[in-house]
Amino acid sequence: MTSWLVAPWQALTRSTALRWTLAIATGFTAIALVLFGFIYWETAVYERKTIDVALAEEAQRLAALPLGAVLAAIEGWIANDVHATRYAGVFDADGHRLTGNLLSVPDDLAYDRRPHAATFKGIDRDLDGDNPEPVRAIGWRSDDGGHIVIGNDLDALEDMKAIILRALGLALLPTIALSLIVGSALAKRAQRRIGSMHRAIARIMQGQLGERLPVRGTTDSLDRLATGVNRMLDEIQNLVEQVRGVGDNIAHDLRTPLTRVRTRLERGREELHTVEALGDCMDRAIVSVDQALAVVSAVLRIGQVQHHARRALFGPVDLTAIARDAFELYEPLAEEQGFCLSLEAGLPAIVTGDADLLLEALGNLLENAFKFAPAGSPVTLRVQPSVGRFVLRVEDRGPGIPLEERDRVLRRFYRSEKSRTIEGSGLGLSLVAAVADLHGFDLAILDASPGCAVDLICSPRSPERHPV
Amino acid sequence: MTTARLLLIEDDEETVEAISGYLGSRGYEVRRAATGPDGLLQASAGAVDALIIDRLLPGLDGLTILKTLRQNGIRTPAIMLSALGSVDERVEGLRAGGDDYLGKPFALAELAARVEALLRRPTIGPETVLRAGPLHLDLVDRSAHRGGRRLDLLPREFKLLEYLVRRAGQTVTRGMLFEEVWNYKFVPRSNLVDVHMSRLRRKLNGLGEEELITNVRGIGFILDPAA
Repeated sequence: MTSWLVAPWQALTRSTALRWTLAIATGFTAIALVLFGFIYWETAVYERKTIDVALAEEAQRLAALPLGAVLAAIEGWIANDVHATRYAGVFDADGHRLTGNLLSVPDDLAYDRRPHAATFKGIDRDLDGDNPEPVRAIGWRSDDGGHIVIGNDLDALEDMKAIILRALGLALLPTIALSLIVGSALAKRAQRRIGSMHRAIARIMQGQLGERLPVRGTTDSLDRLATGVNRMLDEIQNLVEQVRGVGDNIAHDLRTPLTRVRTRLERGREELHTVEALGDCMDRAIVSVDQALAVVSAVLRIGQVQHHARRALFGPVDLTAIARDAFELYEPLAEEQGFCLSLEAGLPAIVTGDADLLLEALGNLLENAFKFAPAGSPVTLRVQPSVGRFVLRVEDRGPGIPLEERDRVLRRFYRSEKSRTIEGSGLGLSLVAAVADLHGFDLAILDASPGCAVDLICSPRSPERHPV
Repeated sequence: MTTARLLLIEDDEETVEAISGYLGSRGYEVRRAATGPDGLLQASAGAVDALIIDRLLPGLDGLTILKTLRQNGIRTPAIMLSALGSVDERVEGLRAGGDDYLGKPFALAELAARVEALLRRPTIGPETVLRAGPLHLDLVDRSAHRGGRRLDLLPREFKLLEYLVRRAGQTVTRGMLFEEVWNYKFVPRSNLVDVHMSRLRRKLNGLGEEELITNVRGIGFILDPAA
């Protein structure tokens, strides 16, 4: 074949729709053939049995008669054969025909008075001439050593075969046509779904990250695949949005203290004239620079925490001991700021992790509580077992985090508008989220009504076995 | 005390100038090496009291210099400087034979305090009693007295006071306290150490008694035994 012919043909055979259609049509045709074959076979067996039974009855009747009566009976039997289907012959011991329409003693028949398949050559039959004809036949030996044979041709069987084949021929064409139509309809429908998925993927590739693959809401494999891909797209969109936000957030967080430094230095240079006043101005500038540096450190720190190589340093740690350490470390600060910090922790709670990171995360949660909760309110640090896991909870009476913002604040580098006005790097929760992620722990923000609770839900198993 | 000689192995001109100027004005003699091999050569020659080594250097990195020196039996106290301020970096630096580790950026006063601490490192010997001015610490039964008055200290407060007494007259920074007294490797909010310190001060100072611990502006604290 030349290439101009090959290419479209290959394209056609490669097309899923055509392959599906052909497969379905072939399947239907095969089923039709098997079905007709089965019908033919069953009918043939039935028909042969009917012939055999009739022959056996006749043989039994003839066997009971004396030879003379047999000759007359066979002549009558043949004479009564309106459809010209019967064969019979009575031969003496020398093989001479005494009566009947058979040319000679059939030599391919067992003379055991049981029905067998045989091939007869008839006389007086102008139907087939000398052609041997397949028959069902019964033969037996007469008392004088001769042969008696009766048989019935298989024309009825042949007729039936022809009828069935004709029926098959008539039925097969519509079957193939119908299966081609159904097959192509099914294939087209699948193609349409795949086509719409292709278009959705193309739109996503063009940057429309909000686009999703169409899902029909069934449980078929295509839908399940699309649902999986959509979930993956959710995560990718999430990550891309985070990355987009990072630059803006960091720039914003750095600009504020740096602008302050600039203004202070500029005004100091213009307006201040004593060494003491200048020193004071510079001290304040240093504080602002330190704030900017704190943002940079926090960003770097989160980057370090996210590095999964840190898991190599993991070992068994006791959450209760870490909570006690955090309590001891932060209790004076709480007291100074007018909070009533309390610790509720009992038995050891052993998990696999990094004690320093967990303490740092807990410290960040406590500092957040001190930042946002009203002075004088209680802040509780709690370690409690919960269905095979441990919950490390920091609970305060602060304003909490609105439901719609909860997911976002746990994302790395997200800052709520509210927290921007509050001192600090503002990346505290991001660091907690990074630590939780590294450990394979879950982080949840809940309403403590009144107030807010942040749960670090710690699974005792090692994070390597935890799907991240 | 004779002038302490420091060897600063650092390639960044501006950092060198800032450190030399600051430490020079505090009475240290600061020598300089701009490359790794030069630094190793000068440090091996001895005749310096402490080393300040940048971690990333042209030719030979700081960790290798330290390891080589220690392998050759040179025990000159050393501070590692690094822009890589992570916990693991710190652990690596200390493991290579560094005595202290300081992440960039740092306050010059912090470096000065750490250099001073390095040069006047207290020998943690078999003594069971520490004294500084009116303070008297019994390390065996973990009791502390100011004059005749017994101080009621929590274990961590005792540790904090012990650290200050061992370094009486020296500036100790918040970072040093956090690393040495609390043994934590992350940098907390600055006033976390301050609130612990003010608790300790309240317990230390009886009615009308002199303040023993003074703030060093912007950097840390000093326990003045002469007070």
